[in-house]
Amino acid sequence: MVDVTLHLPTRSEVSEAERTLVLRRMRRSDIVFRRLTFGSAVSVLVILGAVFVSLIDGSLPALRAFGFSFLVTESWNPVTEKFGALAPMYGTIVTSALAMLIAVPIGLGIAVFLTELCPPLLRRPIGIAIELLAGIPSIIYGIWGLFFFAPFLQQTLQPALVNTFENVPVFSALFEGPPYGIGILTASFILAIMVLPFITAISRDVFDTVPIVLKESAYGIGCTTSEVVRRVVVPYTRVGLIGGAMLGLGRALGETMAVTFVIGNAHRISGSILAPGTTISATIANEFTEAVGDLYTSSLIALGLILFCITFIVLGAARFMLMMLERRAGK
Amino acid sequence: MAVDWARYNRRKRRNTRTTFLCFSATVLGVGILGIILGTLLYKGFSGLSLQVFTEMTPPPGNAGGLLNAIVGSLIMTGIGVAIGTPIGILAGTYMAEYGRYSKLTMVVRFINDILLSAPSIVMGLFVYTIMVAPMGHFSGYAGAVALALLVIPIVVRTTEDMLLLVPGALREAASALGLPRSLVVRRVSYKAARAGIITGILLAVARVSGETAPLLFTALNNQFWSTDLNAPFSSLPVVIFQFALSPYADWQKLAWVGALVITLAVLALSIAARWLSSSRTTQ
Amino acid sequence: MNLMSSNAPAVTEKLSIKNLNFYYGGHLALKNINMPLYEKQVTAFIGPSGCGKSTLLRVLNRMYDLYPHQRADGEVLFDGTNILQPKEDVNLLRARIGMVFQKPTPFPMTIYENIAFGVRMYEKISKSDLDGRVEQCLRKAALWSEVQNKLGASGLSLSGGQQQRLCIARTVALRPDIILFDEPCSALDPISTARIEELIDELKQDYTIAIVTHNMQQAARVSEKTAFMYLGELIEFGDTKKIFTSPEAKRTQDYITGRFG
Repeated sequence: MVDVTLHLPTRSEVSEAERTLVLRRMRRSDIVFRRLTFGSAVSVLVILGAVFVSLIDGSLPALRAFGFSFLVTESWNPVTEKFGALAPMYGTIVTSALAMLIAVPIGLGIAVFLTELCPPLLRRPIGIAIELLAGIPSIIYGIWGLFFFAPFLQQTLQPALVNTFENVPVFSALFEGPPYGIGILTASFILAIMVLPFITAISRDVFDTVPIVLKESAYGIGCTTSEVVRRVVVPYTRVGLIGGAMLGLGRALGETMAVTFVIGNAHRISGSILAPGTTISATIANEFTEAVGDLYTSSLIALGLILFCITFIVLGAARFMLMMLERRAGK
Repeated sequence: MAVDWARYNRRKRRNTRTTFLCFSATVLGVGILGIILGTLLYKGFSGLSLQVFTEMTPPPGNAGGLLNAIVGSLIMTGIGVAIGTPIGILAGTYMAEYGRYSKLTMVVRFINDILLSAPSIVMGLFVYTIMVAPMGHFSGYAGAVALALLVIPIVVRTTEDMLLLVPGALREAASALGLPRSLVVRRVSYKAARAGIITGILLAVARVSGETAPLLFTALNNQFWSTDLNAPFSSLPVVIFQFALSPYADWQKLAWVGALVITLAVLALSIAARWLSSSRTTQ
Repeated sequence: MNLMSSNAPAVTEKLSIKNLNFYYGGHLALKNINMPLYEKQVTAFIGPSGCGKSTLLRVLNRMYDLYPHQRADGEVLFDGTNILQPKEDVNLLRARIGMVFQKPTPFPMTIYENIAFGVRMYEKISKSDLDGRVEQCLRKAALWSEVQNKLGASGLSLSGGQQQRLCIARTVALRPDIILFDEPCSALDPISTARIEELIDELKQDYTIAIVTHNMQQAARVSEKTAFMYLGELIEFGDTKKIFTSPEAKRTQDYITGRFG
């Protein structure tokens, strides 16, 4: 009879030494790889820490020279070397707040349209259009704002605002001054346009977490779409919407290029939102390369530190809220 | 049931109003996109010519192109992505594969998400203080590092998300064959998540190639052709910034052309990324 | 709990389904359904998974309107009109034909508001009358004694069974003519299930009820009439007692005896 069994090398035939060598090599590369990934993960924390440390270090001369008054001084004078963060901070906060006031309702409206009202064929194209808006680099918004939007506002909206509120007691101060075109209001509009796709995308994602049965229940007792959205969808996703809005705020606070072109770069606080002003990021962008002298540079870095702290707090709170929503949705 | 018709009609009217408002908001949003893109095409297209891609940025009053700026952007973005991507992928790998439920991962995820939306100008300041100031001069290296710092959070996030989507059963099957952990990750998880990870990288490139602020005081700008990364280095966004704010008409025209070029590049990358991710989901 | 004997007094048809065909996109999911819902009786729909019983239920309150690729052909006559017509006011229809879903879905509001919300949408009602209505509905849903002291608490703070009873109270608050139950107990434990079945037994004194269930014993317990469906067709419809003891169609027989499904 012919022996038809396969002749495979049996255990004893492969050299034990060879096997041990291979295993040891695998084990070594395994450990190396694991360490590499661990190190990379930690490096994210290191980056954050390094940013903080270096900003603080760079701001020290300014902080030492001015102390707490840095936060409340309006003047910004490179000649006399008297610097104060008040005007940039004011500009940053006001433009961002106005931008949110405009972008949040519109963003929510678009998100509601896309999730509840839009005919299915249009859903994808419109969604893509909004995402494209998000992808456009911010400098494009800046030059568009400077060359098109600002002159447009100068001709139309701003004179209209000035005329309408001329004799209204409180509001006239808010809308006074020659229509420059550029200024706080224009910058707020541009910021709003920039933040809009972001708010829309997050709101849409948040709306999608509402269980379909819940919406059907509301329709089931005869609610109109408006009622389903206002009384069920929005309350259900409230935390997520706020988190999304805060994320948008965090972005708006740090935005540089879109704002720099149209804010007017005036280091002063004005009651009128039609007046030019400045933001922290615009100040840094415009003046850093021209800054002469340690105190000037240090003051600019101090501004950067303030901005980083503000955005860190806002973004941290936002992420925390979104985390809570995810936890609840997973429940 | 006794229906109060006045109330009922009021509800219907309110519904119509709300629908109209939402529709208007959408029209506004899409309309603005159209206006911006239209403006860009209108102002930039007429200046598009071969010259733009073959000549250097000119002094005012002369004709020229954007070659050094475009090449500079390509190089710095390339290096920035080359530095940032491995770190990002490895970090995301740790968070999804080795330390999935650990406290460290939670903290890193939280911090990473903050860095994701942090002001890019602050990153520029950071690189200034650690590279430019000690070195005593601006450099392309500093610019690339600033871009790398922007790339890292994006790649970390997408890598982690994509790896988390890989089914556990796949990893278990690989381990059951005797593969050590690192090979399970490299041979199996990476392969399974490959399209998603590449999408993340493309998105990072798209995002970073349009960034101006972090380059303003790291790489600064260079009017001439230079491939010396150890010196001020040209980039398209910074050139656009400088030219647009200048009072010279031909510089402004070049700025618009540059804006159009960047926007088209970024949109092309976004579309590529989207196409890639959708082809994955239809598999 | 009790099966009507076949010599019960004559009952009117509250709702008639005539030649109903239903499509998911191009796929015909319900084929030529013809059957009535009798007034103040419980009609159970049974059949294996995917037979179309939930789909049929959702036609009755035009729930499929929310989804663009779903459409219905034929007639569903309710109080004389065909509710499938486009000009039918769906919001009003859904207030008159209520639905309780498989998963309890309290709205993100207080317990009181969950119920008051719907009433306020349709009726001009004083605060004291509203309070009375809320109490009445919660009593009807056998929930009053458990929540009377915490009407201000969130609807989500209740247990699963309580939430489902809240949903029933909410539906009842609108004084509908018909209540549709879509597998109302499948997400609940046996004790809650028993309570809901008791509730259905009481509710049928005032409302016409249709219940979809994949639990045959439940169908046998609560209903007077049963409809057996299979692959989108109505195989048999009749008195519950008859369906479960001596069905006419062989397929019904096979399903009842557990040969498939």
